[in-house]
Amino acid sequence: MFTALFLFFLWRPISLGTTTGLFTALKHAFRRPVTLQYPTEQPVLAPRFMAHPVLTWDFEVDEPYCTGCLICMKICPTDVITVSMKDNEKFASEDSKRRKIVDDFKLDVADCIMCGLCVDYCNFDAIVMSDHFDASVDNRSNLVHDLQTLLDEGKGQQEKGRWSPPATKKSQRRSAAQAKVSKPSSSEEAKESTSEENEIETD
Amino acid sequence: MNISDYISIFAIVFVMFNGILGSVLVVIYGERKVLARLQQRIGPSRTGPWGILQTLADAVKLVLKEDIRPQNSDRIIFYLAPLIIFTPIFMLWVVLPFGSGLVLGDIDLGLFYVSALLGLSVVGMVAAGWSSNSKYAMLGSARSAAQLISYELPLILSILSVGLFAQLFTDNPFNLSSIVNAQAGLPFIFVMPLAFVLFLIGGLAETARIPFDIPHADEEIVGGAFVEYSGIRWGAFQLSEYTGLITMAFLASILFLGGWSGPFSDKFVWLQPFYISSKTAFIILLAFWIRAPLPRLRIDQLMAFAWKAIIPISFANFILVSLVVFIGDRISLPIFQIQLILGLLNLISMIALAYLLTSRRKRRLAVYRERWGEK
Repeated sequence: MFTALFLFFLWRPISLGTTTGLFTALKHAFRRPVTLQYPTEQPVLAPRFMAHPVLTWDFEVDEPYCTGCLICMKICPTDVITVSMKDNEKFASEDSKRRKIVDDFKLDVADCIMCGLCVDYCNFDAIVMSDHFDASVDNRSNLVHDLQTLLDEGKGQQEKGRWSPPATKKSQRRSAAQAKVSKPSSSEEAKESTSEENEIETD
Repeated sequence: MNISDYISIFAIVFVMFNGILGSVLVVIYGERKVLARLQQRIGPSRTGPWGILQTLADAVKLVLKEDIRPQNSDRIIFYLAPLIIFTPIFMLWVVLPFGSGLVLGDIDLGLFYVSALLGLSVVGMVAAGWSSNSKYAMLGSARSAAQLISYELPLILSILSVGLFAQLFTDNPFNLSSIVNAQAGLPFIFVMPLAFVLFLIGGLAETARIPFDIPHADEEIVGGAFVEYSGIRWGAFQLSEYTGLITMAFLASILFLGGWSGPFSDKFVWLQPFYISSKTAFIILLAFWIRAPLPRLRIDQLMAFAWKAIIPISFANFILVSLVVFIGDRISLPIFQIQLILGLLNLISMIALAYLLTSRRKRRLAVYRERWGEK
């Protein structure tokens, strides 16, 4: 009874906005600070986090996967990629199966919108989105990455396991292409093509 | 007076001045740290262990900065204004007692001295704003003058009501030491919580703390009356502001929380400064806590709050205290009964005020809904 009276008389004063705010602040004082002490404490990135694209390295042949086919340069919505190709010397000595190889690759991170289209369109899985989020430099010209930097960063990404080797993915893509080429007009053919795909995947 | 007296006076002043400066450093660090925790941040953590040297580094930076004066400013007043604000706040500490007998000048009209010096900072604000020849500084000083004058009244009325009540205990009710002695039985906060709240609000407004920090509204007029100041002169303003906060908290602990008295404070004299400084720290923490969630009032809200709410309430409180003291003294009630009656009346009036405030808000909401529909 007394408690009820007490609550009745005290409820309105406590429910004043100012008082509520004060107690909310006090409640937050006992929570953990959300601050991330950045240079000493690194953030935990999401597995699909995308910063600017980098180039991968084929460790078996010891050359980049990139053949300089220019598809990324053509598809790039902000025109930040510039590629040129050359004849592969290792193809002449039959060390490599790549007839052409990338000569120069320039990426202007200042204008890159990190859309990932270059990765989607690359036929050789030569390009991958990095997790290199702290891209600040002291000069704007340092934002233009050349081939060597991109390859070095790409090796780092491969070591982190953010890129799967192209062999498996290539077979999948080939089966998908075959399915397209066969043009499934009837349902049976479509079924066949899907079964083919499944077989390849199980292989 | 011979030469040793001068030397001892100089030593005492030196120790007190530097002690206050050091405590200002501690308070600024504490504010940043406590406020950060209340907002789920970490606060200064890089300079020294746990960032304890951060304020020191800031102070060194301020001292080393170039001292710039605007070209068309009034030179003498511009250089004088920080001192006008700086000096009275430090002069207050002459009468503030740290323990029984631990006071520089135990004057009989201590409360009057305090209330007179508290009002002086307005002069410095106006001088700073006027002399720096800048519209932002002028606006800031005008606003702060309006605010400081408005909140001077409730502050002084609540101080006076303490003096009134202390009449029951001593012949010397305006002396700060005898006020503390009067609270040996029961601190005045239990007898007149309303006056304490009024003092707290007035003190927050006088020291321009956050719900009332219109004088230096950082987002609106970029620093108020002292926009044009830089380096050590700006530092003097900042220093006097935080010294004002400490002084207000000290005054509140003397007037309402029983000053240096506490358990065993009569037997062990060395406990007294500890008691009073911990009470001061409590009030300062309260100020930090109030700062964390509250937004800044608009200038018209501020003035309306002062003249429509706080000043009438403080007059009513003053009349209530004087009536209770007068009648109780006439019919020679025991002091305990007078305390009880006054405390109960205060409690009832506080709850009634809270009801009044909330009902006004509800009425406004009802008007709003009538006009704009449910939302």
